[in-house]
Amino acid sequence: MSAVLLSRLKITDLTAWTALETGRRLLGRDHTLDRLAREQLFLFEPEAGGNADVFEGVLGEAVRHSNFFVNPNKESYRFLASSERGAEWRPPEGAWGILTRSRDDTRDEGLLQRLLREHPLRGLGAIRKARVWWLWTRGPGGGPDVGRCYAMLGVLRDSRTGLLVNPHGESALLIEGAVRWEKVERFLIEPAPAFRDAA
Amino acid sequence: MARAAVVQIPGVNCEYETARALEAVGLEARIVRWNEPDSVWSGFDAFVLPGGFAFQDRIRAGAVAAKLNAVDRIASEAARGKPVLGICNGAQVLVEAGLVPGFRPGHVELTLAPNRAPRREGYLCRWVWVRAEEGPGREWFARGARPGEPIPVPIAHGEGRFQTADPEVRRRIQTDGLVLFRYATPAGAPAEEYPFDPNGAMLQAAGVTNAAGNILAFMPHPERALWLRQVPIDMAGDWGERRRAAVGTWGSLEGPGPGRVVFESLAARLRPRAAIGARA
Repeated sequence: MSAVLLSRLKITDLTAWTALETGRRLLGRDHTLDRLAREQLFLFEPEAGGNADVFEGVLGEAVRHSNFFVNPNKESYRFLASSERGAEWRPPEGAWGILTRSRDDTRDEGLLQRLLREHPLRGLGAIRKARVWWLWTRGPGGGPDVGRCYAMLGVLRDSRTGLLVNPHGESALLIEGAVRWEKVERFLIEPAPAFRDAA
Repeated sequence: MARAAVVQIPGVNCEYETARALEAVGLEARIVRWNEPDSVWSGFDAFVLPGGFAFQDRIRAGAVAAKLNAVDRIASEAARGKPVLGICNGAQVLVEAGLVPGFRPGHVELTLAPNRAPRREGYLCRWVWVRAEEGPGREWFARGARPGEPIPVPIAHGEGRFQTADPEVRRRIQTDGLVLFRYATPAGAPAEEYPFDPNGAMLQAAGVTNAAGNILAFMPHPERALWLRQVPIDMAGDWGERRRAAVGTWGSLEGPGPGRVVFESLAARLRPRAAIGARA
C-alpha cells in the first residue's frame, strides 16, 4: 500500500478556469458544466517488499512542515497515509473525475532524489505523479450524464471532441463513484495500455 | 504579392519577428487577431501560427487554441491547398487541432510530449541542427535546402517531443515521408542521441507535415535565425565559419541566416500561386 498526497491551488486556478470555459463551449446547450477542479496526485510507493508505514511518518512531517511539496500560501492538500486512506477513493460530493497519467513511466526520479537529499527517509521506492480533474456536470435528465460529458471533455478525439487528455501522451482512468485504491495504484504503476486497447 | 497572416492568439510572443521574417522574403505579412470575423481568413494566401504560450499553455500546450474558430477557418483554407506553418507553440496548436499529420482530417493523431533527455528535464532553449528530408512538404517549406545540409536553428520548448501512441500513424508518418525536418548533428547526420536529439522525439522529428505537405508543424524557431548576425559566433560548422568571417562587416552580418530557407521556400512556392490569384 502506498501513501498519497493530493494538492490543489487555493488561489484561483486559472488552468481549471480556462478548462471550465472551454468545456462549456464544447458541451453545448443540453449539458451544463457547473464546476471544474484540478488536483495533483503524488503516490509514494514503498521499495519492493516494503511497507509505506516505514517512511510515511517522516514523509508526513516533510509535507506538513516544509514547503517541499506544498506552498501553504497558495495550495491546500490532503496527505493520506496508507493506514488512513481507506480502501476506496471517493470523488468530492456531486463530482466525477478523470485521473490522467503520462504514457511514459510515471516515476519522478528527480523529485525523489531531491526529497531524499532534503528529507532523508528509508523505504521509499518511487514517487509517481498524476493529475485529477473533478467535474460537476448535468445532463438533460438532471443527472451528471457522465458518459456523454466524458466523451466531450475527456479523451481528445478530434478538434471538437475531447479536451483534458491527449491519448498520445497520456492515459486516463474515469472515476465515477468510489474507486479502489488498488486500482489507482495499478493504473499508475503498470505501463499505460496500448493505444488501441485504451480506445 | 502573396499575403500571409500571422495569427495572434492570446499568449503568443513571436508574432512580430515572424512577420518581419515573412516580409524579409518578399511576402506581405499581417498580424491578425484570433477573433477576427470568419470572412477575414479567406483573404490570405498563407498562415503562420507563431511561437509563444497560447492561453498560457493551460491544460496542455496548444490544447485551448486548437478549439478556436480561427483555427477551424485556417483548416478550411488549408484544405483548399493554402500553406500553414506552425512554429513551436504554433506547431503544438496544429497537432492538437488534428491538422498534422491529418490522416483522418481533424482527428488528433499526435502529441507534443514533455522533452525527454538523459539527466535533464523541462524547458530547453538553445541552438540545434536539423536537416531537411524528402517528402511532400519539401516543395513548400524546404525547397532551398540541400540534401543532408545541416541547418542550425534555435529551439525553445518544454513540450517538443513528437509522439504518437498509434503504431499505424507512426508507420505512415515514416513511410509517407512526413518528417520533413529531422534533428541532426553539426555534420548533417541524423541525430541519434542527446544533445543533438534534444527531446527524444519519435523518428528524431523536428518538423512534421500533413500528407499534402502544405501544413508544417515545426518545433524550432527559424524566425530567430533569419539573419547571419543571429548565429552564435562560436557555432560549429559552415554557418559558424560564415558568422566569424562576417565580424566587422555589417553588410555581411545582415545577410541571410540559416532559418531563412523555410520562409524563402514558402515565398518561392507562393509566387506563382499569388500571380494566378491576381489574374483571377
